[in-house]
Amino acid sequence: MMTKLYLSLKYGAILIWSAFVIAPFLWALTTSFKTASGVTGGPTYIPWLQYEPSLSGWRSLFSSGAGGIDVVKPYIDSVIVTGCASLISIVLGCLAAYGLSRFTYRAGFVKNTDLVFFFVSQRIMPPIVLAIPFFLMLKWLGLLDSKIGLIFVYVALLLPIAVWILVDFFNGIPREIDEMAILDGCTPFEAFRRVILPNSLAGIVVAGMFCLIFGWNDFFFAFTLTFTDTQLLPVAVVALNSSVTPWWSLSASALISVAPLLLIAFVVERFLSHGTLAGAIR
Amino acid sequence: MGETGLRSYKLAFLLPGLLTLLAIILFPLLFTIRVSASGWNATNPDLDWIGGANYAALWLDARFWQSLGRLSFMATGTVALQYVLGFALALLVWHDVKARRFFRVLFLIPMMTTPVIMSVIWRTILHESLGPANDVLSMLGLGPVPWLTSGGWAVASVMLVEVWQWTPFIFLLLLAGLISLPREPFLAAAIDGAGPVRTFVNVTFPLMAPVSIGAIMIRLIEASKLMETVYVLTSGGPGTATETSSYYIYIKGLRDFDIGYAAALSITYLVIMIVLLTVLGKLLHRALMGRAA
Amino acid sequence: MSLQLHDIGLVVEGVAHLDNIEVEFERGRLTTVLGRTLAGKTTLMRSIAGLQRLDRGTVQVDGRDYSRLPTWQRDIAMVYQQFINYPHLNVYENVAFPLRRKNLSEETIRQRVDAVLEKVGLSAFERRRPSQLSGGQQQRVALARALARESDILLLDEPLVNLDFKLREQLRSELRSLLTQQQHTIMIYNTTEPVEAMLLGDTVVVMHDGRVLQIGTPARVFDYPASRAVAQVVNDPPMSFIEGRKTDTGLELTRSVTVPLPPHLRDLANGNYRFGIRANELRLGGSTLQGRVTFSEVSGSETFLYLDAPTGPLALQIEGVHVLEEGRNVGIEIPADRLFAFELDAGERLLAAPATGAAS
Repeated sequence: MMTKLYLSLKYGAILIWSAFVIAPFLWALTTSFKTASGVTGGPTYIPWLQYEPSLSGWRSLFSSGAGGIDVVKPYIDSVIVTGCASLISIVLGCLAAYGLSRFTYRAGFVKNTDLVFFFVSQRIMPPIVLAIPFFLMLKWLGLLDSKIGLIFVYVALLLPIAVWILVDFFNGIPREIDEMAILDGCTPFEAFRRVILPNSLAGIVVAGMFCLIFGWNDFFFAFTLTFTDTQLLPVAVVALNSSVTPWWSLSASALISVAPLLLIAFVVERFLSHGTLAGAIR
Repeated sequence: MGETGLRSYKLAFLLPGLLTLLAIILFPLLFTIRVSASGWNATNPDLDWIGGANYAALWLDARFWQSLGRLSFMATGTVALQYVLGFALALLVWHDVKARRFFRVLFLIPMMTTPVIMSVIWRTILHESLGPANDVLSMLGLGPVPWLTSGGWAVASVMLVEVWQWTPFIFLLLLAGLISLPREPFLAAAIDGAGPVRTFVNVTFPLMAPVSIGAIMIRLIEASKLMETVYVLTSGGPGTATETSSYYIYIKGLRDFDIGYAAALSITYLVIMIVLLTVLGKLLHRALMGRAA
Repeated sequence: MSLQLHDIGLVVEGVAHLDNIEVEFERGRLTTVLGRTLAGKTTLMRSIAGLQRLDRGTVQVDGRDYSRLPTWQRDIAMVYQQFINYPHLNVYENVAFPLRRKNLSEETIRQRVDAVLEKVGLSAFERRRPSQLSGGQQQRVALARALARESDILLLDEPLVNLDFKLREQLRSELRSLLTQQQHTIMIYNTTEPVEAMLLGDTVVVMHDGRVLQIGTPARVFDYPASRAVAQVVNDPPMSFIEGRKTDTGLELTRSVTVPLPPHLRDLANGNYRFGIRANELRLGGSTLQGRVTFSEVSGSETFLYLDAPTGPLALQIEGVHVLEEGRNVGIEIPADRLFAFELDAGERLLAAPATGAAS
């Protein structure tokens, strides 16, 4: 079964896809060091051989004057908004998911599974359906173009993800452990805090990561609900796309924007290989 | 769990999250429904009442229904591709390959990136004259492709970017599933002398049915919202070749400011999506689970 | 201190899981609750703990209505069938967990934990996590945690059932000595095995189909089972039952088989009864009855035989190793003076029992 041919086909396929994955990054990387001559004559690839490398693209990231982009402010805004929204979503999500996992709720004909479905089905909502009402709602509250308004909206988007992942995870912890804690003198809340949470770290980390990913990468809501006071990275970078921005600045800003989340890939892979991910994601 | 003294705790756990979600989602939804019965647009920014006139209009709006068709094609097409490729990749780095952990990390990377930002980069790649895509093709002796300027190719470009971006998602879910599979069925198959193809068809694929369904459904739900890639790459064009329903609603609502009509479109679209996805979910369940039985 | 269960009832989807339960438990006493699976033992235990709501009845401790108290305010320790420990804590912290909830001083905690760990033989494993221990060791941790609390009530729900045979026997004798040392605790022990009930309990409560059938000392319940149902629960291997008729001269077990009337049955009115005989009191050989072997099993130095006889199915437990193939016909002797007599109606209560002799 493990013939040489079979194995080399495997490696071949892996290398082809790897090339496909890396290609855009390599292209952006090399483009970020170009100047006009490296772009307008046709695509160039190798520095020094085909074009003269320059740091102007990268320098423009930090200058907010003319021709500059300034990624620092969008970066900070993105970190604050994504971080806060994820944190709130995880906290509320843990509580709700634990309730849904352990208790039976009934209000008329609505039961636990219906409630979980309600949480998860929020993801079906296309952003456009919510964008206009959110716009009007934030305007009415005076929260347009503010970090708080955006955090508010993001929680609605990320909470379903957190609940979806965490309910599954909590269901995997035997109820008898909760009972033991309660018998030993813990109120349900203490049982949750002292016994369930410490044993759920893997699930919480996974849920947290997905919240960070979906939060950091949102474009549409940031686009519709913020303008100048608050600017998130995706909006800032895409704005460059439509104006007459040189490709080298564009590439540099793109690269620096996606860099942080790449670290998450490492964390996810570690969880994967240790088998804990299987339980959380199923 | 226990019954005595629990009621207040039960509510304390669920309500903060539930109420927050309801508060944030319910108002917009109800508001959109109300607006859809009004003629709010750029020249008439008022919440008046015109009943079902918007809905009547959208029945006859060919552009809307075409956008639905396009969306269905693109969504199912990309998810199908992502599934096949994702599964293949998961199988490839499952075992026996050196440095497979390195490749696993590598394969995960696209889904961690910001889709719009990568689309910006892809736009430069697919540029007909200045981008490397056509350049590389010409090195292979193939003609230049009008990636973003021809209808059919534009659709292909959007799908290409989507596949690049989201295959890792299915790859991750399937790989996690593969890793947690029990060994026994595979040992049994090996003893029976089954080769890789037969093992896959009779053991791996059926065992992965539940994970597959979950992964496909989640991707379908996300793919049905396809809008950002289109916005950056083609702006719905050329013409309306890549205009998805979300994009069309965006144009009507936030560019033409025909808010009443856009609201009606939104609600209709939402209902259609919920029905379609639920039905699809049940069908998928029966198809894959039936196979596994 | 006493624990009183009064008129306990629970109905789930039309089926009575608990019905009309009335039991009292005393401090310092170990009561075993004996019954088959699904008899209601676990449900009853969980009701006492407050983990299961009741439709009817009260649980009272020293006259106080326990049902007013939420579980975490009751002073109850429980050991489960499955080895339940806190996975994220080491052995020491596992045992100390409930003590910390009581805000005892670090000194006191250390003393108690060390003492208990010593008693269960786990002193060397203080720093280990439960996942690093064997099944038997994990259950000892659970036990240690329950004992260290010195709680008012200690519940043990078939704690040995998931251990392998040898371990079960060993732990059983350890349990016996550990539990008899607890003088201030009300202890309740669930089991399906008569042997355990007889060995461990001061009192045995026999349960079946959600009801309490009999309460008494092990000897009492064994020698004088209140009804056929109790006799079935309490005997393993099972008691054999024969429907027969008492006349002035003897007992007609079938049309052709009659045994002489034993002294202890003489006062019974003539009529039809259900007679019972224990497996280890039936004898092979003799000519009273012929039976066909349906199943035979050698276990250790004993043989278990299941026969089909004209009087119905019979179970025998014989000393020694006897190899008897299925289908073979053997002669059986029924010592009439060892027969139990039960009423032949719905309740099938005990009417007469053989003399107790040298047993317990």
